[in-house]
Amino acid sequence: MNPEMKNMPWYNRLDLPGVTFVLFLLLAFSSLPALEGSGRDLDYWGNFLRFTDQFFPPDWSILGQTMTGLWETVQIAGISTFLASIFSLFLSLGAARTISPRWLVFITRMLLNIIRTIPSLLWAILAVVLVGSNSLAGVIALTFYSTGYLAKFFSEAFESADLKAQKALQSLGSSRWQAFQYGLWPNLRPVIWSHCLWMLEYNVRSASIIGYVGAGGIGLHLKLYAESADSWNKFSLVLLCMLVIVTFLDFTGEKVRKSIREKLEGKM
Amino acid sequence: MIEGKDLSLRIGERWLVQDLSFSVNRGEFIALVGSSGSGKTTLLRGIAGDIPLAGGQTITHTTSPLPIGMIHQDLQLAEGSTTLKNVLSGCLYRHSSFQTLLGFPEEEKGKAISLLLKLGLQKKLHQWTSTLSRGERQRLAIARTLLAQPSILLADEPVASLDGKWAEITLGMLKQYAQAQDACVICSLHDLDQVDQFADKIIQADPQKPEKWNVLMNTPNKV
Repeated sequence: MNPEMKNMPWYNRLDLPGVTFVLFLLLAFSSLPALEGSGRDLDYWGNFLRFTDQFFPPDWSILGQTMTGLWETVQIAGISTFLASIFSLFLSLGAARTISPRWLVFITRMLLNIIRTIPSLLWAILAVVLVGSNSLAGVIALTFYSTGYLAKFFSEAFESADLKAQKALQSLGSSRWQAFQYGLWPNLRPVIWSHCLWMLEYNVRSASIIGYVGAGGIGLHLKLYAESADSWNKFSLVLLCMLVIVTFLDFTGEKVRKSIREKLEGKM
Repeated sequence: MIEGKDLSLRIGERWLVQDLSFSVNRGEFIALVGSSGSGKTTLLRGIAGDIPLAGGQTITHTTSPLPIGMIHQDLQLAEGSTTLKNVLSGCLYRHSSFQTLLGFPEEEKGKAISLLLKLGLQKKLHQWTSTLSRGERQRLAIARTLLAQPSILLADEPVASLDGKWAEITLGMLKQYAQAQDACVICSLHDLDQVDQFADKIIQADPQKPEKWNVLMNTPNKV
Protein backbone atom coordinates (compact mmCIF):
# COMPACT_ATOMS: atom_id res chain seq x y z
CA MET A 1 0.00 0.00 0.00
CA ASN A 2 1.12 3.51 -0.77
CA PRO A 3 2.62 4.96 2.48
CA GLU A 4 0.59 8.15 2.04
CA MET A 5 -2.62 6.08 1.92
CA LYS A 6 -1.55 4.17 5.00
CA ASN A 7 -1.59 7.39 6.99
CA MET A 8 -5.11 8.27 5.86
CA PRO A 9 -8.12 7.56 8.13
CA TRP A 10 -9.83 4.26 7.19
CA TYR A 11 -12.96 5.97 5.84
CA ASN A 12 -10.89 8.04 3.40
CA ARG A 13 -9.33 4.87 2.02
CA LEU A 14 -12.71 3.41 1.03
CA ASP A 15 -13.66 3.20 -2.62
CA LEU A 16 -17.03 4.96 -2.44
CA PRO A 17 -18.57 3.61 -5.69
CA GLY A 18 -17.46 0.07 -4.72
CA VAL A 19 -18.83 0.28 -1.19
CA THR A 20 -22.17 1.71 -2.29
CA PHE A 21 -22.45 -0.98 -4.99
CA VAL A 22 -21.95 -3.70 -2.37
CA LEU A 23 -24.56 -2.04 -0.13
CA PHE A 24 -26.96 -1.92 -3.08
CA LEU A 25 -26.47 -5.65 -3.76
CA LEU A 26 -27.05 -6.44 -0.08
CA LEU A 27 -30.30 -4.46 -0.13
CA ALA A 28 -31.49 -6.21 -3.32
CA PHE A 29 -30.78 -9.75 -2.02
CA SER A 30 -32.16 -9.10 1.45
CA SER A 31 -35.40 -8.01 -0.28
CA LEU A 32 -35.92 -11.40 -1.98
CA PRO A 33 -38.74 -12.45 0.42
CA ALA A 34 -40.86 -9.71 -1.20
CA LEU A 35 -41.01 -11.96 -4.31
CA GLU A 36 -42.90 -14.66 -2.44
CA GLY A 37 -46.24 -12.84 -2.85
CA SER A 38 -49.33 -14.21 -1.16
CA GLY A 39 -48.01 -17.74 -1.05
CA ARG A 40 -51.15 -19.02 -2.81
CA ASP A 41 -50.69 -21.38 -5.70
CA LEU A 42 -51.91 -19.17 -8.57
CA ASP A 43 -51.63 -19.58 -12.30
CA TYR A 44 -49.82 -16.28 -12.89
CA TRP A 45 -49.31 -16.65 -16.63
CA GLY A 46 -52.85 -17.92 -17.23
CA ASN A 47 -54.32 -15.05 -15.23
CA PHE A 48 -52.29 -12.57 -17.21
CA LEU A 49 -53.41 -14.00 -20.55
CA ARG A 50 -57.10 -14.16 -19.52
CA PHE A 51 -56.92 -10.53 -18.37
CA THR A 52 -55.18 -9.12 -21.43
CA ASP A 53 -57.41 -11.20 -23.71
CA GLN A 54 -60.32 -8.98 -22.65
CA PHE A 55 -58.41 -5.92 -23.96
CA PHE A 56 -58.81 -7.01 -27.57
CA PRO A 57 -60.23 -5.87 -29.83
CA PRO A 58 -60.46 -2.32 -28.43
CA ASP A 59 -63.98 -0.88 -28.45
CA TRP A 60 -63.83 1.86 -31.11
CA SER A 61 -67.43 2.92 -30.42
CA ILE A 62 -66.23 5.14 -27.56
CA LEU A 63 -63.57 6.93 -29.64
CA GLY A 64 -65.52 10.22 -29.66
CA GLN A 65 -65.94 10.50 -25.90
CA THR A 66 -62.36 9.29 -25.37
CA MET A 67 -61.05 12.09 -27.57
CA THR A 68 -63.15 14.58 -25.57
CA GLY A 69 -61.60 13.25 -22.35
CA LEU A 70 -58.13 13.37 -23.83
CA TRP A 71 -58.64 16.95 -25.01
CA GLU A 72 -59.67 17.87 -21.46
CA THR A 73 -56.48 16.19 -20.21
CA VAL A 74 -54.34 18.19 -22.64
CA GLN A 75 -56.16 21.38 -21.57
CA ILE A 76 -55.48 20.63 -17.88
CA ALA A 77 -51.80 20.01 -18.68
CA GLY A 78 -51.54 23.13 -20.86
CA ILE A 79 -53.08 25.62 -18.44
CA SER A 80 -51.32 24.18 -15.38
CA THR A 81 -47.91 24.26 -17.16
CA PHE A 82 -48.59 27.87 -18.18
CA LEU A 83 -49.53 28.93 -14.63
CA ALA A 84 -46.64 26.97 -13.11
CA SER A 85 -44.19 28.65 -15.54
CA ILE A 86 -45.28 32.10 -14.37
CA PHE A 87 -45.14 31.23 -10.64
CA SER A 88 -41.82 29.46 -11.18
CA LEU A 89 -40.22 32.48 -12.82
CA PHE A 90 -40.80 34.53 -9.67
CA LEU A 91 -39.93 31.72 -7.26
CA SER A 92 -36.78 30.83 -9.16
CA LEU A 93 -35.46 34.36 -8.73
CA GLY A 94 -35.73 33.80 -4.97
CA ALA A 95 -34.09 30.38 -5.22
CA ALA A 96 -31.11 31.43 -7.35
CA ARG A 97 -27.90 31.90 -5.35
CA THR A 98 -26.52 34.37 -7.89
CA ILE A 99 -29.51 36.69 -7.52
CA SER A 100 -31.03 36.51 -4.03
CA PRO A 101 -29.66 36.75 -0.48
CA ARG A 102 -28.91 33.53 1.37
CA TRP A 103 -31.90 33.65 3.72
CA LEU A 104 -34.34 34.02 0.80
CA VAL A 105 -32.63 31.23 -1.15
CA PHE A 106 -32.93 28.95 1.92
CA ILE A 107 -36.64 29.70 2.48
CA THR A 108 -37.57 29.41 -1.21
CA ARG A 109 -35.66 26.16 -1.66
CA MET A 110 -37.27 24.66 1.45
CA LEU A 111 -40.69 25.61 0.10
CA LEU A 112 -39.90 24.05 -3.29
CA ASN A 113 -38.59 20.88 -1.63
CA ILE A 114 -41.86 20.53 0.29
CA ILE A 115 -43.89 21.06 -2.90
CA ARG A 116 -41.84 18.43 -4.75
CA THR A 117 -42.13 15.90 -1.93
CA ILE A 118 -45.90 15.67 -2.39
CA PRO A 119 -46.77 13.43 -5.37
CA SER A 120 -49.16 14.69 -8.04
CA LEU A 121 -51.84 12.20 -6.99
CA LEU A 122 -51.81 13.56 -3.45
CA TRP A 123 -52.00 17.14 -4.76
CA ALA A 124 -55.02 15.98 -6.80
CA ILE A 125 -56.76 14.50 -3.72
CA LEU A 126 -56.14 17.74 -1.82
CA ALA A 127 -57.49 19.81 -4.72
CA VAL A 128 -60.60 17.60 -5.09
CA VAL A 129 -61.29 18.11 -1.37
CA LEU A 130 -60.94 21.86 -1.89
CA VAL A 131 -62.87 22.51 -5.13
CA GLY A 132 -64.73 19.27 -5.78
CA SER A 133 -64.41 16.68 -8.49
CA ASN A 134 -63.74 18.57 -11.72
CA SER A 135 -60.95 19.65 -14.04
CA LEU A 136 -60.22 22.76 -11.94
CA ALA A 137 -58.94 20.38 -9.26
CA GLY A 138 -56.60 18.89 -11.87
CA VAL A 139 -55.33 22.33 -12.85
CA ILE A 140 -54.67 23.27 -9.21
CA ALA A 141 -52.93 19.97 -8.48
CA LEU A 142 -50.65 20.03 -11.49
CA THR A 143 -49.87 23.74 -11.11
CA PHE A 144 -48.52 23.13 -7.60
CA TYR A 145 -46.72 19.95 -8.59
CA SER A 146 -45.05 21.47 -11.67
CA THR A 147 -44.10 24.66 -9.85
CA GLY A 148 -41.93 22.58 -7.50
CA TYR A 149 -39.94 21.24 -10.45
CA LEU A 150 -39.94 24.18 -12.85
CA ALA A 151 -38.82 26.69 -10.21
CA LYS A 152 -35.89 24.40 -9.39
CA PHE A 153 -34.93 24.06 -13.08
CA PHE A 154 -35.32 27.80 -13.70
CA SER A 155 -33.20 28.74 -10.68
CA GLU A 156 -30.46 26.38 -11.90
CA ALA A 157 -30.67 28.08 -15.31
CA PHE A 158 -30.31 31.50 -13.65
CA GLU A 159 -27.32 30.28 -11.64
CA SER A 160 -25.47 28.83 -14.61
CA ALA A 161 -26.25 31.69 -17.02
CA ASP A 162 -23.38 33.62 -18.56
CA LEU A 163 -23.58 37.12 -17.06
CA LYS A 164 -20.99 38.69 -19.37
CA ALA A 165 -23.45 40.06 -21.93
CA GLN A 166 -25.54 41.58 -19.15
CA LYS A 167 -22.48 43.26 -17.63
CA ALA A 168 -21.32 44.48 -21.06
CA LEU A 169 -24.64 46.25 -21.56
CA GLN A 170 -24.49 47.81 -18.12
CA SER A 171 -21.02 49.12 -18.92
CA LEU A 172 -22.56 50.65 -22.07
CA GLY A 173 -24.92 52.60 -19.86
CA SER A 174 -28.11 50.51 -19.97
CA SER A 175 -30.40 50.22 -16.95
CA ARG A 176 -30.45 47.00 -14.90
CA TRP A 177 -33.77 45.99 -16.42
CA GLN A 178 -32.55 46.65 -19.98
CA ALA A 179 -29.37 44.66 -19.31
CA PHE A 180 -31.53 41.79 -18.04
CA GLN A 181 -33.98 41.99 -20.96
CA TYR A 182 -31.38 42.23 -23.73
CA GLY A 183 -28.27 40.70 -22.11
CA LEU A 184 -29.33 37.86 -19.82
CA TRP A 185 -32.87 36.88 -20.86
CA PRO A 186 -32.01 35.99 -24.50
CA ASN A 187 -29.54 33.40 -23.18
CA LEU A 188 -31.98 32.06 -20.60
CA ARG A 189 -35.12 32.04 -22.73
CA PRO A 190 -34.30 28.95 -24.84
CA VAL A 191 -33.32 26.94 -21.76
CA ILE A 192 -36.43 27.98 -19.84
CA TRP A 193 -38.69 27.27 -22.82
CA SER A 194 -37.09 23.86 -23.17
CA HIS A 195 -37.92 23.09 -19.53
CA CYS A 196 -41.51 24.28 -20.04
CA LEU A 197 -41.95 21.95 -23.02
CA TRP A 198 -40.61 19.03 -21.01
CA MET A 199 -43.01 19.88 -18.18
CA LEU A 200 -45.93 20.04 -20.61
CA GLU A 201 -45.16 16.52 -21.85
CA TYR A 202 -44.82 15.31 -18.29
CA ASN A 203 -48.08 16.99 -17.25
CA VAL A 204 -50.05 15.33 -20.05
CA ARG A 205 -48.97 11.99 -18.58
CA SER A 206 -49.75 13.14 -15.04
CA ALA A 207 -53.11 14.65 -16.07
CA SER A 208 -54.07 11.26 -17.47
CA ILE A 209 -53.88 9.63 -14.08
CA ILE A 210 -55.11 12.30 -11.66
CA GLY A 211 -58.62 11.86 -13.06
CA TYR A 212 -58.58 8.55 -11.17
CA VAL A 213 -59.15 10.53 -7.96
CA GLY A 214 -61.67 12.86 -9.56
CA ALA A 215 -59.45 15.65 -10.84
CA GLY A 216 -60.87 15.65 -14.39
CA GLY A 217 -59.55 14.42 -17.72
CA ILE A 218 -59.21 10.95 -19.21
CA GLY A 219 -58.30 9.37 -15.88
CA LEU A 220 -61.96 9.42 -14.89
CA HIS A 221 -62.85 7.35 -17.98
CA LEU A 222 -60.10 4.86 -17.07
CA LYS A 223 -61.50 4.53 -13.58
CA LEU A 224 -65.07 3.92 -14.80
CA TYR A 225 -64.02 1.25 -17.30
CA ALA A 226 -61.69 -0.45 -14.80
CA GLU A 227 -64.47 -0.69 -12.22
CA SER A 228 -67.12 -2.14 -14.52
CA ALA A 229 -66.56 -5.84 -15.06
CA ASP A 230 -66.75 -6.17 -18.87
CA SER A 231 -65.22 -2.89 -20.10
CA TRP A 232 -61.58 -3.85 -20.51
CA ASN A 233 -61.85 -3.41 -24.28
CA LYS A 234 -62.96 0.19 -23.65
CA PHE A 235 -60.10 0.57 -21.17
CA SER A 236 -57.64 -0.62 -23.81
CA LEU A 237 -58.91 1.95 -26.33
CA VAL A 238 -58.31 4.74 -23.82
CA LEU A 239 -54.79 3.39 -23.21
CA LEU A 240 -54.17 3.22 -26.95
CA CYS A 241 -55.29 6.84 -27.47
CA MET A 242 -53.11 7.95 -24.54
CA LEU A 243 -50.17 6.10 -26.02
CA VAL A 244 -50.64 7.90 -29.34
CA ILE A 245 -50.92 11.37 -27.81
CA VAL A 246 -48.05 10.91 -25.33
CA THR A 247 -45.77 9.49 -28.04
CA PHE A 248 -46.66 12.39 -30.34
CA LEU A 249 -45.90 14.95 -27.61
CA ASP A 250 -42.68 13.16 -26.64
CA PHE A 251 -41.51 13.10 -30.23
CA THR A 252 -42.34 16.72 -31.11
CA GLY A 253 -41.17 18.04 -27.71
CA GLU A 254 -37.81 16.29 -28.07
CA LYS A 255 -37.46 17.57 -31.65
CA VAL A 256 -38.13 21.17 -30.60
CA ARG A 257 -35.83 20.92 -27.54
CA LYS A 258 -33.04 19.42 -29.64
CA SER A 259 -33.40 22.15 -32.23
CA ILE A 260 -33.24 24.87 -29.53
CA ARG A 261 -30.17 23.22 -27.96
CA GLU A 262 -28.33 22.97 -31.26
CA LYS A 263 -29.18 26.53 -32.24
CA LEU A 264 -27.84 27.84 -28.94
CA GLU A 265 -24.68 25.78 -29.31
CA GLY A 266 -24.21 27.19 -32.81
CA LYS A 267 -24.61 23.82 -34.56
CA MET A 268 -27.27 25.01 -37.01
CA MET B 1 -10.11 63.75 -24.38
CA ILE B 2 -8.46 61.39 -21.90
CA GLU B 3 -5.29 61.64 -19.85
CA GLY B 4 -3.48 59.01 -17.88
CA LYS B 5 -1.24 60.26 -15.10
CA ASP B 6 1.34 57.88 -13.63
CA LEU B 7 -0.93 54.89 -14.15
CA SER B 8 0.17 51.70 -12.42
CA LEU B 9 -1.51 48.33 -12.54
CA ARG B 10 -0.64 45.00 -11.10
CA ILE B 11 -2.10 41.53 -10.76
CA GLY B 12 -1.11 40.01 -7.46
CA GLU B 13 2.56 40.74 -6.97
CA ARG B 14 3.29 41.23 -10.67
CA TRP B 15 3.47 44.80 -11.97
CA LEU B 16 2.07 45.06 -15.48
CA VAL B 17 2.15 48.83 -15.85
CA GLN B 18 4.22 51.35 -13.89
CA ASP B 19 3.95 55.12 -14.04
CA LEU B 20 2.44 55.38 -17.50
CA SER B 21 1.42 58.90 -18.51
CA PHE B 22 -0.29 59.68 -21.78
CA SER B 23 -2.84 61.99 -23.32
CA VAL B 24 -5.20 61.29 -26.19
CA ASN B 25 -6.83 64.05 -28.20
CA ARG B 26 -10.14 64.11 -30.04
CA GLY B 27 -10.02 62.31 -33.36
CA GLU B 28 -6.95 60.26 -32.49
CA PHE B 29 -6.44 56.54 -32.95
CA ILE B 30 -4.01 55.05 -30.43
CA ALA B 31 -2.51 51.61 -30.85
CA LEU B 32 -1.58 49.60 -27.79
CA VAL B 33 1.28 47.29 -28.66
CA GLY B 34 2.93 44.55 -26.65
CA SER B 35 3.53 40.84 -26.70
CA SER B 36 0.91 38.39 -25.40
CA GLY B 37 0.59 38.60 -21.64
CA SER B 38 2.23 42.04 -21.49
CA GLY B 39 -0.88 43.57 -19.93
CA LYS B 40 -2.72 45.22 -22.82
CA THR B 41 -6.11 43.92 -21.69
CA THR B 42 -5.39 44.87 -18.07
CA LEU B 43 -4.38 48.37 -19.15
CA LEU B 44 -7.55 48.81 -21.20
CA ARG B 45 -9.68 47.51 -18.31
CA GLY B 46 -7.86 49.85 -15.97
CA ILE B 47 -8.60 52.82 -18.25
CA ALA B 48 -12.24 51.68 -18.52
CA GLY B 49 -12.48 51.55 -14.72
CA ASP B 50 -13.32 47.82 -14.69
CA ILE B 51 -10.39 47.10 -12.37
CA PRO B 52 -8.83 49.34 -9.72
CA LEU B 53 -5.57 51.15 -10.48
CA ALA B 54 -2.61 50.42 -8.22
CA GLY B 55 -1.54 54.04 -8.66
CA GLY B 56 -2.14 57.19 -10.70
CA GLN B 57 -5.39 58.31 -12.27
CA THR B 58 -7.24 58.82 -15.54
CA ILE B 59 -8.96 62.08 -16.34
CA THR B 60 -11.60 62.28 -19.05
CA HIS B 61 -12.62 65.54 -20.71
CA THR B 62 -16.05 64.83 -22.10
CA THR B 63 -19.67 65.66 -21.35
CA SER B 64 -21.00 62.67 -23.30
CA PRO B 65 -23.61 60.53 -21.51
CA LEU B 66 -21.41 57.55 -22.42
CA PRO B 67 -17.78 58.58 -21.80
CA ILE B 68 -16.22 55.13 -22.30
CA GLY B 69 -17.30 52.06 -24.26
CA MET B 70 -15.26 48.92 -24.70
CA ILE B 71 -15.10 46.10 -27.26
CA HIS B 72 -14.03 43.13 -25.15
CA GLN B 73 -11.78 40.38 -26.40
CA ASP B 74 -14.37 37.77 -25.36
CA LEU B 75 -17.08 39.81 -27.14
CA GLN B 76 -19.73 39.41 -24.41
CA LEU B 77 -22.72 38.99 -26.72
CA ALA B 78 -26.19 37.65 -25.95
CA GLU B 79 -25.95 34.28 -27.72
CA GLY B 80 -29.69 33.58 -27.87
CA SER B 81 -30.47 36.98 -29.36
CA THR B 82 -30.44 38.00 -33.02
CA THR B 83 -27.64 39.91 -34.69
CA LEU B 84 -29.82 43.02 -35.05
CA LYS B 85 -30.94 43.01 -31.40
CA ASN B 86 -27.37 42.55 -30.19
CA VAL B 87 -26.27 45.62 -32.14
CA LEU B 88 -29.30 47.60 -31.00
CA SER B 89 -28.51 46.81 -27.37
CA GLY B 90 -25.67 49.30 -27.73
CA CYS B 91 -28.15 52.20 -27.86
CA LEU B 92 -30.14 51.23 -24.76
CA TYR B 93 -28.74 54.02 -22.60
CA ARG B 94 -30.29 56.59 -24.95
CA HIS B 95 -33.79 55.33 -24.16
CA SER B 96 -35.78 54.50 -21.04
CA SER B 97 -36.53 50.91 -20.03
CA PHE B 98 -40.19 51.58 -20.88
CA GLN B 99 -39.34 52.78 -24.42
CA THR B 100 -37.29 49.67 -25.15
CA LEU B 101 -39.63 47.20 -23.45
CA LEU B 102 -41.25 46.11 -26.72
CA GLY B 103 -38.56 47.08 -29.20
CA PHE B 104 -36.35 49.85 -30.52
CA PRO B 105 -37.10 53.15 -32.30
CA GLU B 106 -37.00 52.97 -36.11
CA GLU B 107 -34.22 55.56 -36.25
CA GLU B 108 -31.93 53.35 -34.17
CA LYS B 109 -32.83 50.33 -36.29
CA GLY B 110 -31.80 52.27 -39.40
CA LYS B 111 -28.42 53.14 -37.88
CA ALA B 112 -27.86 49.55 -36.73
CA ILE B 113 -28.69 48.10 -40.16
CA SER B 114 -26.41 50.60 -41.84
CA LEU B 115 -23.52 49.54 -39.56
CA LEU B 116 -24.22 45.86 -40.18
CA LEU B 117 -24.28 46.54 -43.92
CA LYS B 118 -20.81 48.12 -43.73
CA LEU B 119 -19.56 45.16 -41.71
CA GLY B 120 -21.00 42.60 -44.13
CA LEU B 121 -23.62 41.19 -41.79
CA GLN B 122 -26.74 42.38 -43.63
CA LYS B 123 -27.81 38.82 -44.47
CA LYS B 124 -27.58 37.71 -40.86
CA LEU B 125 -29.83 40.33 -39.26
CA HIS B 126 -32.33 37.89 -37.82
CA GLN B 127 -29.98 35.00 -37.18
CA TRP B 128 -29.12 33.93 -33.62
CA THR B 129 -25.70 35.17 -32.58
CA SER B 130 -24.68 31.69 -31.46
CA THR B 131 -24.89 30.54 -35.08
CA LEU B 132 -22.41 33.14 -36.40
CA SER B 133 -18.73 32.44 -37.01
CA ARG B 134 -16.10 33.92 -34.67
CA GLY B 135 -15.20 36.60 -37.22
CA GLU B 136 -18.85 37.57 -37.71
CA ARG B 137 -19.36 37.74 -33.96
CA GLN B 138 -16.32 39.99 -33.64
CA ARG B 139 -17.71 42.38 -36.26
CA LEU B 140 -21.05 42.29 -34.44
CA ALA B 141 -19.43 43.32 -31.13
CA ILE B 142 -17.72 46.20 -32.95
CA ALA B 143 -21.03 47.31 -34.48
CA ARG B 144 -22.69 47.30 -31.03
CA THR B 145 -20.05 49.60 -29.55
CA LEU B 146 -20.03 51.87 -32.61
CA LEU B 147 -23.80 52.27 -32.31
CA ALA B 148 -23.34 53.19 -28.64
CA GLN B 149 -21.07 56.08 -29.74
CA PRO B 150 -18.85 56.41 -26.68
CA SER B 151 -16.46 59.39 -26.51
CA ILE B 152 -13.56 57.09 -25.73
CA LEU B 153 -13.75 53.76 -27.52
CA LEU B 154 -11.49 51.05 -26.12
CA ALA B 155 -10.98 47.99 -28.30
CA ASP B 156 -9.22 44.85 -27.07
CA GLU B 157 -7.78 43.09 -30.10
CA PRO B 158 -10.87 43.85 -32.20
CA VAL B 159 -9.50 42.29 -35.41
CA ALA B 160 -7.86 39.18 -33.95
CA SER B 161 -10.32 36.85 -35.70
CA LEU B 162 -10.76 38.80 -38.92
CA ASP B 163 -9.11 38.15 -42.26
CA GLY B 164 -6.98 40.87 -43.85
CA LYS B 165 -9.82 42.44 -45.83
CA TRP B 166 -12.23 42.70 -42.90
CA ALA B 167 -9.48 43.77 -40.48
CA GLU B 168 -8.67 46.71 -42.76
CA ILE B 169 -12.32 47.68 -43.24
CA THR B 170 -12.99 47.45 -39.49
CA LEU B 171 -9.94 49.43 -38.41
CA GLY B 172 -10.79 51.99 -41.08
CA MET B 173 -14.28 52.32 -39.60
CA LEU B 174 -12.85 52.77 -36.09
CA LYS B 175 -10.44 55.46 -37.31
CA GLN B 176 -13.19 57.21 -39.23
CA TYR B 177 -15.42 57.01 -36.16
CA ALA B 178 -12.80 58.81 -34.05
CA GLN B 179 -12.48 61.59 -36.62
CA ALA B 180 -16.15 61.99 -37.49
CA GLN B 181 -17.52 61.80 -33.94
CA ASP B 182 -14.77 63.87 -32.28
CA ALA B 183 -14.04 60.79 -30.22
CA CYS B 184 -10.86 58.80 -29.67
CA VAL B 185 -10.02 55.12 -30.08
CA ILE B 186 -7.51 53.16 -28.02
CA CYS B 187 -7.02 49.79 -29.62
CA SER B 188 -4.71 46.88 -28.83
CA LEU B 189 -3.17 45.39 -31.98
CA HIS B 190 -0.62 42.70 -32.82
CA ASP B 191 -0.09 43.35 -36.52
CA LEU B 192 2.58 46.05 -36.89
CA ASP B 193 1.53 46.85 -40.46
CA GLN B 194 -1.93 47.71 -39.14
CA VAL B 195 -0.33 49.85 -36.42
CA ASP B 196 1.71 51.69 -39.05
CA GLN B 197 -1.33 52.20 -41.25
CA PHE B 198 -3.88 53.40 -38.70
CA ALA B 199 -2.31 54.63 -35.46
CA ASP B 200 -1.64 58.28 -34.70
CA LYS B 201 0.18 57.38 -31.49
CA ILE B 202 1.50 54.15 -30.06
CA ILE B 203 1.60 53.05 -26.46
CA GLN B 204 4.14 50.27 -26.43
CA ALA B 205 5.40 47.89 -23.74
CA ASP B 206 9.17 48.17 -23.38
CA PRO B 207 10.66 44.84 -24.57
CA GLN B 208 13.47 45.10 -21.99
CA LYS B 209 11.34 46.16 -19.04
CA PRO B 210 7.78 44.95 -19.65
CA GLU B 211 6.12 47.03 -16.92
CA LYS B 212 7.46 50.19 -18.56
CA TRP B 213 5.28 51.53 -21.37
CA ASN B 214 6.43 54.18 -23.83
CA VAL B 215 4.27 56.62 -25.75
CA LEU B 216 5.45 57.24 -29.31
CA MET B 217 4.18 59.29 -32.19
CA ASN B 218 3.58 56.99 -35.13
CA THR B 219 6.06 57.39 -37.93
CA PRO B 220 6.87 54.59 -40.37
CA ASN B 221 8.89 51.74 -38.85
CA LYS B 222 8.74 53.31 -35.41
CA VAL B 223 7.60 50.14 -33.67
